[in-house]
Formats: sequence, structure tokens, C-alpha cells
Amino acid sequence: MYSTMNTSWVVPPPPGTQGQPYGYQSELPTPIAFHPPTTLRMAPKRRTDPPAYHPVQVRQTFSQPALHYPPTVQQPPPPPAPPVEAPGKQKIDWPASVRNYVARSFEPANMHPDVSKVAMEAKLKETISAASASKTLFTIDWDNLPLPKDMILQERVQALRLEQEKWQQQSVDMQMAGNGFVDITASKKRKSQEIGGDNEDALPPWRTTNTRNGFEDRVTFPAERFDKRQQPFQDDNLKGTSKFQKSLEKRQRRFDGGYKSSYKSPSPEPMSGPVVGTCQTLEKQYFRLTSAPIPSQVRPESILRQTLDLLKKKWKKEGNYSYICDQFKSMRQDLTVQRIKNTFTVTVYEMHARIALEKGDLGEYNQCQTQLRALYAQNLGGNPVEFKAYRILYFIHTSNRTSLNDVLADLTTAEKKEKAIKHALDVRSAIALGNYHRLFRLYLDTPNMGAYLMDMFVVRERLAAMSSLCKAFKPDVPLRFVTEELGFESDNDAAQFIYDYNGQALLEEKEGNLRFLTGKAAQLFEVARNEAFRKVDIKGQI
Amino acid sequence: MDPIFDDFRKGYAEWDGYKVSQTLTPIPPASNPQKLYNFFRSTNFATVQKDFKYQLVYNTTPFKLPADEANGWVEVYHAYWKAVGEILNAENAPRSSTKGAWIKVYDSWKELINALIRGYSNHGFEAWTVPCLYVAGKFLRIFAIKADEGTGTGNGAITSFQDDFNPEAEKNEKLEDAARQLNRIFQICLADREPLDESRKWGIYNIINLLFKTYFKLNSISLSKNILKAIQAYRGDMPTLESFPKAHQVTFKYYIGVIYFLEENYVESEKNLTEAWQLCHKDAVRNKELILTYLIPCHLLTTHTLPTLALLSPYPRLQKLFLPLSRCIKKGDLAGFDAALVAGEDEFVKRRIYLTLERGRDIALRNLLRKVFVAGGFEEAKDPAAPAVRRTRIPVAEFGAAISIGSKETMDNDEVECLLANMIYRNLMKGYIARERGIVVLSKGGAFPGTGV
Repeated sequence: MYSTMNTSWVVPPPPGTQGQPYGYQSELPTPIAFHPPTTLRMAPKRRTDPPAYHPVQVRQTFSQPALHYPPTVQQPPPPPAPPVEAPGKQKIDWPASVRNYVARSFEPANMHPDVSKVAMEAKLKETISAASASKTLFTIDWDNLPLPKDMILQERVQALRLEQEKWQQQSVDMQMAGNGFVDITASKKRKSQEIGGDNEDALPPWRTTNTRNGFEDRVTFPAERFDKRQQPFQDDNLKGTSKFQKSLEKRQRRFDGGYKSSYKSPSPEPMSGPVVGTCQTLEKQYFRLTSAPIPSQVRPESILRQTLDLLKKKWKKEGNYSYICDQFKSMRQDLTVQRIKNTFTVTVYEMHARIALEKGDLGEYNQCQTQLRALYAQNLGGNPVEFKAYRILYFIHTSNRTSLNDVLADLTTAEKKEKAIKHALDVRSAIALGNYHRLFRLYLDTPNMGAYLMDMFVVRERLAAMSSLCKAFKPDVPLRFVTEELGFESDNDAAQFIYDYNGQALLEEKEGNLRFLTGKAAQLFEVARNEAFRKVDIKGQI
Repeated sequence: MDPIFDDFRKGYAEWDGYKVSQTLTPIPPASNPQKLYNFFRSTNFATVQKDFKYQLVYNTTPFKLPADEANGWVEVYHAYWKAVGEILNAENAPRSSTKGAWIKVYDSWKELINALIRGYSNHGFEAWTVPCLYVAGKFLRIFAIKADEGTGTGNGAITSFQDDFNPEAEKNEKLEDAARQLNRIFQICLADREPLDESRKWGIYNIINLLFKTYFKLNSISLSKNILKAIQAYRGDMPTLESFPKAHQVTFKYYIGVIYFLEENYVESEKNLTEAWQLCHKDAVRNKELILTYLIPCHLLTTHTLPTLALLSPYPRLQKLFLPLSRCIKKGDLAGFDAALVAGEDEFVKRRIYLTLERGRDIALRNLLRKVFVAGGFEEAKDPAAPAVRRTRIPVAEFGAAISIGSKETMDNDEVECLLANMIYRNLMKGYIARERGIVVLSKGGAFPGTGV
């Protein structure tokens, strides 16, 4: 089904041209009809006062429903917010914490090159007037509140992401409309977006998480402190060293600031607790997170369980790997952001690992197996024996000795006796000792889905075995012998293998039997062997 | 605070970097176990900066530091003082919740590193003081490990927008951060453009060794390659390794040897380990033991030789590790070899030598087959005057019997041939298998190279 959808994709209109007939302010009334009751709570409160001024919404959320283009760096300053000492309001005695906050915002160390002063002033005004309007001036933890520049950066990221999602949602809507599922005028996209914005952000995050929200101690602070100290010293320094040295060092600092730059990442930090999802749709396309997840776009476990059932059915029926892989990735993401680690998590990763194995997508498989290893360590059930065996085979394939050593270190004595693991360990030792005879016996008797992994390196090992054979056996051996020793299904397959490496001339018929002229083949297979061992695609990414 | 600043001034007057660096150690000398405590109590948060300024900027006996540099040191000791406070605090933390306290120690120690780095890049600290970086880096790593190992929960912030959670990163959060900080130190040493005699480049190998040590602990040995690439790129401006202190050389060569070892490049590995072995101080028993742990398996694969008893005699641990295997290899006792390998598996795996030692089985097998060959005796001489010629046509069955006895399991003919083919392929045995006739035809001149027959 997915594949047919693919073909019927409608190209969405370019940004800026899409349904914005009323422009900036008229956005508000339309979506209200779709608001779930919870989101309504905030809105009317604001609307009760007759607007004494140009009705600009004080922005209370980080999402920007009004902006339907990704904001550019030079954000136009929002129309002037009402002066805080608006007529009719009594003069406010600003708490010291607020003053400090304002002062802090304009410290040179806290300036960000991408955020203009104008934008910052506007943001500051907005924040403070919102606080005074909601009478929270004295309750907000101003010391730990993100600075305006951070808020602005965060908003931008969020807006960008919403934009992307909207695009995506829109295209889905259009397909659905095309299939007659949804009346496109009902604009489902809008709804989901609004929910997305309001639900989470009905309260600004700094108010919902009054505890230290990880902002200052994890990110902003170290960088700030660093900068603050650096600034004055830089100036002192100009006198001492030569200008050249100076600029060099500046440059140098930029480099070792490689670490710092991760501090400065404009994306907002996640809140300290896991998200609790509220999304009710089963399917969801995978997107790499660039900012804190939005609960309305995260599916809770109950929904994910249904999703898994759906995916199982779809995989059986359609076998569309790119769709399945994408869906599984979004499932994994939802599990991770909600910190769900239980038997169900194990099932999801195992399923994905198996499907990836079947399709030879070693990159995804490897991601899953890494997670599974950690999950098994917590005894959450699942099939640790089966997957530990795969893990061994995988590292044999990638010739990753360090990891192989680690796997060995992880196994308990009891596990080493389990059939699948013992098989994998025997494969490993057979290869290490060059015992191709045993290796291909094991190959023909691989438990579970291990054969998919063994297939990855069996050609390489056959070439290695061929090299040995050709060097040791003179003058020839029956083709049958090659078939049996190298685990081919038939003489034909063995012959084909030799043909594949241009060994046509090395097969000869003698007394009704095909014989393989080992004595003459050594060079040929030695070259092929070295070639095969030279390149091991470690990631195996598709 | 006076003893510390007295030492600082003394070290500074003598240009003795190591002496200066000793003032930054977080471990009190045995002669004065209260030193840190007293130092911390000698001032307080309100006046610490002023006090230190007085000590370093205004106190002009016996000499006056340049103001800028002195201010840099004030920052350093200020950070050190705070870190000492956290350390004293952590050492007294209740056993159930050490993590939070050690995280604080780590973070405050990191500030010390930052102050030092700023000192070098902004305040003109001189290159001879680089041992301060050694001390700071060494303990940063130690504190990171303590923070990661601590009991209880830290601040528990979760983080990152990864699609999957990352158990390794959570487990080693601080140590990974420490690796980044060490890398910064590495960078400020590497990129110093002062002339060589006053360059921080002289600190580079000590820091590299710390980095390697950290990467090994983090199990991300591949990162060492980046370091090697970086010094390779700067090699033109770098003093040769031989001109660095021997201690730095030995450790560096040891790590390089082990890295090659893990990549199965046994030739290079052996070269570096041998150099480390020769340079190593004669009394550094522990270090010599570490070097031999890798050098012996290396030697087994490259030259097919076993360690002598004399070599192993000072190292009981190595005897336990290698002697059982050596004996079996020598005798060609395959079953014994397998048993010894299983018995020592945990220890071998821990030291990452299991996969290498396993290949010693080839040598054991070679020795067994050689015995068959020797037992086969000589051809009947046609000419009594000519030197006796060994019997070189040996039935596969004879080898098969030997292998079955040696490994205590019956092995079918095809597998025996497979093992023989492998011996021939790896040049442990010279000759060929004539399968139709069921015999092995061995070379008349040296059927088992390097063993005298």
C-alpha cells in the first residue's frame, strides 16, 4: 500500500504560497474549532479584555503557529508589544531578580551573533509582560530562566521543525485526499499542528519544570562562564603577545572549542524527565530529532503495541522494507524519548533486527543489536541467546577483533553451552584455525537466522579455503570434493563458483568425473582471496 | 596556604616544572596528611581570590612574576582551591551517594584544567611548567572514573536526541568528557609555535599517553588513530621521539605496540614492544610485565618461539598465564592446549590476547606432525655412503592417527587433510597432499621450516 502511495505523491506548494489567505493574525479563529478542550483554557482568558491596542498575541508558546515560513536570521521585530506600564495598570515594582535577568541578557558574553539586539529586546519585553500579565513575576525562577537569545534560538528551531512536519503532514493529507479518505478542506494538518503546539507549551517550559531544568548546569552555563572570563583577558592579552600569535591563538581556541560548540548548540535541551506521548495514530514517518520531542507526536506504549501488530501484518503481506524500516525507526525513537525499556522494547528491537537481517541491512541490524545487548543486560526477556549468537557472527563478518574479544568477555559459561552461541563460537574458532572442513559443516547447520549473517562472509571464507586447497593438493581433486568441503549445494554451484573467478580452464573431465586442477589454480585464488579480505565494509550500511 | 605557595615560588625560581606541578596534586604528601585540609581552611570563598592575588601578584620576594602571568596563576590556584574543597567533601561523602560528590569534584577539577589552558593560551605561562598539565590531566582521568563508578545517582539529566539510548555513553559519561578535555590539552601542546626549546610540544607524549590510557579504558581504541594522525601531520616541527624523556617513550611505544597487536599487525607490534622492553627501567617490574603480556604472544606468532623459563621467572603472573600453554605447544599436545586455553580464557580475554594465543594451536599441531615425520625414520639407503634421507612420503592416515591421539577425538580423513592443507598453506610444513594415493609428499629439504628437519 505504501508503495502505491509513493507514486501518487502530490508535490506540495512551495513555502510561502500555501494556504495563508488571511495572513498573520487571522490564523487564530480557525483552528479553535479543532482544539481539544485542554488547549482552550488559556485562550479565552487573554481574549476577555477588549483589546486596547493592535491585537497581537503575546506569544506564550515556543511554537509559532502564525509563521508559516522558516524564520530567517533577520527576524522582523514583532510589532511593539504593549508597554508594560500600560494605562490602567498600576506601576509595577520590578523584583531584583527581573532586573538581574534583564542585565544578564545584555551582557556581551551572552550575546549571540545570530540574534539581533532588536529581536532580543522584543523577546525580553514579551517575556516580562507575559509574566506580569499572568501575575507570575514573583514566582518565576528568573535566575534559571533561559536568556532571551536562547529562547529565540529555540523558537527558531522549533518553528523550523514544525514547518517540516507540516509539510510532511500536508503531503500525507493530500494523498489521503487523493484516495478519498479525508476531506482535505478539513485540514487535518492544521489540527495536529495546533495540538502539537499548544498541548505541550500551554505553559512555557520554564514554568512547568521549575526544578533545575538542565538548562544552566548542563549547557548554557559552562559556555557562558568560559566566555565571560575569556572576554576581558583577550583584551589584556593584546598588549603582551604579538598580533600574529594572538590571532593564531584565537584560531586555535576556535578549534578546541570543538567541544564547546556542542554546548552552544542552538537546539533546546530536552527537559529532565522523559516525554509522555499522546499521539494516537499508529503509523508515523521517521524523522531525526533536532529538538525536544513534542508529546503530541510521540505514541505511547499502548499505541506502539498496536503499531507493532500492524507492522507485522504489513510486513507479511507487502514486504516493503523501506517502509517497514522507516516505521521501526520511528517506533524506536518513540520508545527512546519516553525511556520505555521493557519486554516490549526488546520485542521491537528484535523484530527490527530480524527484518534487517533478512534484508541484509547490516547498518540497521547493528544499531538494533547494540541496543539489544544493553537491554539483555537488564534481563528484560527476549531471546538473548539467539541474538548473542548473531552478534558473534556479525563481528566475524566485520573482522572486528576488538569487539569479538568483548563479546567473548561478556559470555557466561552457561551461555557458551547454548546451542546457537556454541555454534557461533565454533564458527569463529574454525575460521581462526583455518579449519574450512568444520566451518562449512557448521554453515550447513546454522540455527535461527544465522545463515543470513554467514552468507555475508561465506564467499570470503570459501576463497580462503580454495587458496589452501590449491596450495596443498596436487595435482587435482574431484569437483565433488570441492562441493563437499566448501559446503556447496551441488557440483553445479561449485563449478559456478570456480567459473565466477575465471577458473573455466581449471575444470577437466577425466574418466567421467569432473576434476579440479588445484595445482594450477593457486595463484588465481590467492589473488581473489586477498582481494576479498582487503575490503570489509564495516558498517554494512545500505 | 603558605606551604603551597612557598613550593610554587621555589619551583618557579628554579624553573622546575615538576616541582611546580607538585603544588597542584590533589593528594597530600605522606609527611603532611593534613596539607590539603589546611590549605582549604586557610582562606574562604569571600577572600580567596584576594589572598591568592596577594601571594602571587604582590608578594615580590624573591622575584616578581609578570602581572599577567601572575593573574593566570591566581585563577589556577583559585580553581585548585575550590577543587580541593570538593575533594575533601567527596572523601567524607556517605558511602551510598558518592556519585554526586565525585561529579562535583570532576567538574571543579575540569575548571582547573580550563584555568590552566587559559593560562597557556592567554597569560603566557611558560613551557617549562607543562608538568602542571600532566598532573591536572592525570587526576582528571582518575576523578572521571570515580564519578562514573560512584554509587547513587547523579543529576540524572537525560540528554541527546538520539533515536536509541546509548548505554555506553551513560556509563562513561565523565570519562568521555575527560577524553575531550585531554584532547584540548593535547591541542594546546601540539599547536604551540614557539621555538622548540621553549615549546609546549615537549609535553605532547605524556598527554598522548594519558589519552591512550583513557581510550583503552573507554574501549574506543580506534580513537588513538586520530592522535597518531595528528602527530604525523606535525612531525616536521616535532622533536624526535628519542629526545623525549624515556618514561614517555616507553609508555608511548607500549601503547603503539598494543594497538598494532590488536590490529593483528604483529610485525610492527613486535618492533614497538621490543623497543619499549629495551628502554624500560629495570626496576619497573609491573611495566615490564605488561609489555611481555603482549610481546610473548607476538613472538609466538612471528617467530614460533616460546618464552624461556628464565625470562618468565621474575613474573609469577606471566608464568601462570603462559606456561601451561607453552608446555602443550612444545609437546604438540592438542587436547592439553585446548584445555589450557579454556582454563585461562577469562584472563586471556581480559587482556585481549585470547584470539592471538588461540593461533598458537597451529604451532602445537606443527610440533605434533613433526613428531610423526621424525618417527617415520629414514628411507632405506641405496648408497650407504650418502647421508641418510628421511622418509618424506607419509600416509595421511599416520598423521590422522597422531591428530586423533593428540586431540583425543577421532577425526575423519577429510578434516585431517584440511588441517594438513592449512599447515602447508601457512608454510609451517612444506610439501603437498596427493589425495588419490592418500599420502603426503613432504619436501626433502626442510619439511618443517625452522625446526631443523
